[in-house]
Amino acid sequence: MRPAQETIDISRDLVSLLPRLRRFALTLTRDGLQADDLVETVCERATGRQPVWNGHGRLEDALYTLARTLRDETTGRKRIPANLQDGQSSSENTATAGAVQQMIISMPEGLASAFLLVAVEHRTYRDAGRILDLAPDVIATKLATARARLASMASDMTQRRA
Amino acid sequence: MQNTKSPSIEARLSAYLDGEVDENERREIDQLLARDAEARRLLEHLKQGSAFGASGFEAFLHDPVPLSLARRIRQGTDINPKHERVVGAPRKQRRKLWRGALAASCGMLLIGGSTGYLIGRTIDDNTPPTPVVKARTWLDDVTDAHRVYSRQPRHLVEVTAENDEEIRNWLTASTGVSFAIPDLSANKLTFQGARLLVAAGKPTAQLLFKDEDGEVYAICFQRSPTTDDSGRMIESMRDDLALISWNEPGATYVVVGPSATANFKDLADAIADVM
Repeated sequence: MRPAQETIDISRDLVSLLPRLRRFALTLTRDGLQADDLVETVCERATGRQPVWNGHGRLEDALYTLARTLRDETTGRKRIPANLQDGQSSSENTATAGAVQQMIISMPEGLASAFLLVAVEHRTYRDAGRILDLAPDVIATKLATARARLASMASDMTQRRA
Repeated sequence: MQNTKSPSIEARLSAYLDGEVDENERREIDQLLARDAEARRLLEHLKQGSAFGASGFEAFLHDPVPLSLARRIRQGTDINPKHERVVGAPRKQRRKLWRGALAASCGMLLIGGSTGYLIGRTIDDNTPPTPVVKARTWLDDVTDAHRVYSRQPRHLVEVTAENDEEIRNWLTASTGVSFAIPDLSANKLTFQGARLLVAAGKPTAQLLFKDEDGEVYAICFQRSPTTDDSGRMIESMRDDLALISWNEPGATYVVVGPSATANFKDLADAIADVM
């Protein structure tokens, strides 16, 4: 068996990671078009002259970190204020999958990213913190808030269906 | 329980769900849950949020990546050869790795030569196994890719069959081998689309077909310096996969399919006639 760093072709892996990278980008930008632009920039950087990944660790972690860094640069590290307040998380949309997705990424900044990294992709708080440049206890707080909001969304949808 | 709605309790329970608590904290929370119905309700509430969020995020993966985005990225990675380089660890570190691997291999041989022999053995009908680890060939990479991608029914191909002209242009440009997509309907195979692979460090086209049972067949080819125009076909088998390969001047080809396929040789002949 060859060492991992010699068998992995980043361009091929990039294409296969696109759906996940795009999903993570959506949690950062909370906008489809901006997410696509961010993914494209990440891919350009990742295949450019300066490698973003040295073959150690997970390629996707390196890509996620790059995406978050680029997003911070774009926004000047100004955190975007939450566009939804408590009690306003549910839209008037019908309970379609698209509406659910929109509700999820419309959560206040950082909640969806932290939730995705830990609760969906099963990273530790420490690893998620590295990617998002946040302390593990901040990740813990965001996760608790995200879960509570998501549970409220689920309840809202259940009530609306009834 | 006092004040179970406070963020700190939610954060503790949330960390408990994630397995991010130490043994003492876990024991405390277990006791709390055992005696406090409100804490149990809150835990269920958080679990409900997790399940809802996880299913919502799963749905994101089923969204097709916009073709324009995939195309821009593919173009960016295909056109410039530097983009196709393998990203690896610093050379110095790689030497250390190889040195370590070599030392480990020698150790293995010394301690249990027969064990090393079995581990290094590959299944190839035409080549007797030797105790030396063989260099990987493009057929090894093609076989591995086939195993991986044939089990991705929703993401079998990069470009789907209806974009046949794009496939021809893209793969001809990428591999330097001109080709025609064979019509294998007489063999009850339906063209699904194509992928670009890297095999033995070279861009390699993979045309994918399915039979009526959903079994996946692939035609792979890459540029080769061979001048062999004999058309001699070499059959081999890797576990459950059969391979038939042949050369044409400037290119090498292989057909990969389930080893149980009847008339596999006839299929390869039909493909070779068209390619």
